[in-house]
Amino acid sequence: MKAFPWVAGAALGVLALAAPLVLERGTLNDVWSLAFAVILASAWNLLGGFAGQVSLGYSAFLGIGAYATVLLSLRGMNPFLTLPLGAALAAAFSVLIGLPAFRLRGPYFTIATIGVGEVVRVCASSVSFTGGSSGLRMPPGTFDFTLNYLSMVALAIAVVALAAFVKRSAFGQALAAIRQDIDAAEALGIDSTRFKLAAHALSAALVAVAGGLYAINFQYIAPGSVFDFRLSLSIVLMPIVGGVGTIAGPVLGALVFSTLQIKLLSIPALRDSYLFIYGTLLIVVMLFEPKGILGLVRRVFNRRLRRFYADA
Amino acid sequence: MRGVLNVLIDSLLAAGLYATMAYGLAVIYGVMRIINLAHAGVMMLGAYTTFSLFTRFSLDPFLSLLVVAPLFFGGGVLLYRTVVRRLPRSGGTASIESLLLLFGVWLVLQNLAYVIWTGDTQSILTSYTLKSVSLLGVRVGVPALLVFGMSALSLLVLEFVLHRTYLGKAVRAVTQNRDAALLAGVNADQISAAAFGLGTAFAGVAGGMLSTLYAFTPDFGRSFLLKAFCIIVLGGMESVTGVAAGALVLALLENGLAVWTTIPTSFQDAVSFALLFVALVAFPQGLPGLFTRLARRRAVR
Repeated sequence: MKAFPWVAGAALGVLALAAPLVLERGTLNDVWSLAFAVILASAWNLLGGFAGQVSLGYSAFLGIGAYATVLLSLRGMNPFLTLPLGAALAAAFSVLIGLPAFRLRGPYFTIATIGVGEVVRVCASSVSFTGGSSGLRMPPGTFDFTLNYLSMVALAIAVVALAAFVKRSAFGQALAAIRQDIDAAEALGIDSTRFKLAAHALSAALVAVAGGLYAINFQYIAPGSVFDFRLSLSIVLMPIVGGVGTIAGPVLGALVFSTLQIKLLSIPALRDSYLFIYGTLLIVVMLFEPKGILGLVRRVFNRRLRRFYADA
Repeated sequence: MRGVLNVLIDSLLAAGLYATMAYGLAVIYGVMRIINLAHAGVMMLGAYTTFSLFTRFSLDPFLSLLVVAPLFFGGGVLLYRTVVRRLPRSGGTASIESLLLLFGVWLVLQNLAYVIWTGDTQSILTSYTLKSVSLLGVRVGVPALLVFGMSALSLLVLEFVLHRTYLGKAVRAVTQNRDAALLAGVNADQISAAAFGLGTAFAGVAGGMLSTLYAFTPDFGRSFLLKAFCIIVLGGMESVTGVAAGALVLALLENGLAVWTTIPTSFQDAVSFALLFVALVAFPQGLPGLFTRLARRRAVR
């Protein structure tokens, strides 16, 4: 029974990868968005969930990845080869801001990250090589939906598997110790800053790769799209709604979220109320079930599911 | 010389407004250890309420603050009673849960504004909006002057309330030591409600005053929220004077950089952020903490 989540996850992954053979383009687009959401949510969860460091500045990494891909592709590089470079850049940037920011704890760290996101957005729209606020277009001939779809889904599977691996590793244990009591963790000899920096860099790199794929798929980026504060917001919201600090939670949150988004965008009357829905979700989760949907499910089917998800 | 005077006067005028909006955050943090992210949303609503009073009833924006303040105090108390007090109490530090909860409130408020006032950019144009007067040889906009006057007035009233009334003394007592205040018979729940109302009222008033100086949309308020954070981090959360000093430092830096360097004004938000970052990291106890540390070092020598 313990293997159930793994088998189910692997089966879903294989199905998603094989989907282009059967499903039509519209549905594939939805799966693409879901995979994108899963990557963002699970990557954020590495730092925000496992280590408990809630960052509201992740659009910065997504934007760095997207801009790196477009800028390098415009200089003639193969778009897919730019992805690791964008990831490295985002990881380096995450260390740069992490060094001072991780001296802050709890909400202070969160506030500082809002600032980081804002500064990066402002800079991207004011500097000339990024095309300013009007954005940049990918060079023609770089669009291949099937390839992009497969990469995004494969990355999503890899990120979830990585999260599961990290959670069980010594690294994940150290992050959990930091989340539970940072002073106690330090007393046990855990260099908290180093572990936080590592988790930050890892999640930043993953988000940046997703950002690069996003840029290739949409062929056009602007500070308003990839550095948007709302993006940072949804990145945080997904794991929190699903179940922060778990493996299945962010995936669940991403599923709820991308479904909501797809459904909401198709109803004109509701198109303008997504902030209301996000806000209400956040309020309801925080007041009634801070562990998210997964926490709720667990409470309802406590006995049976405890065995299922004991290590998920 | 003229440039220096210009910057000084502009900064002083801006600092009044900054202090008003920062104080709302400080009082809520002080009493409840909650970082009120909904502050930005409340400022935005304050701006729109003033706007509606102006367009519907042609009430002068500054007079409408007399309506906005009690209205928002009530709204704040209501928000506290219905939502905020249900949060599990965290120990001595602010909790992520409260931060995210109020973030949710902010989003709901934003959406409310989109529904009521649409996403169009609005501004208030009164007969004196574009007028200016000469002050020590420096041209100063009339609205900026009025905003400074109102801010100074509201901070003076606040100072009086904090030091001369039971409510104010209780607020300060809970801020300094919640447990001791409880032991002394202070009803912490009531004081928290009052403090939340007070903070919300200050945010509403600050928003109303912002609406006379800037154009606004439902998305408005984020950069001012960050400025307010920066100020309370600089000034410490405890005293009105500390908040005022923090506001002045930020305003001086912004105006000074705008006049003496070629940094474009679009980077102004980045400046307050950089300052926030430096302040949070370098002196987490704020300027007062820095001063006591320096004084202690000198005493040791």
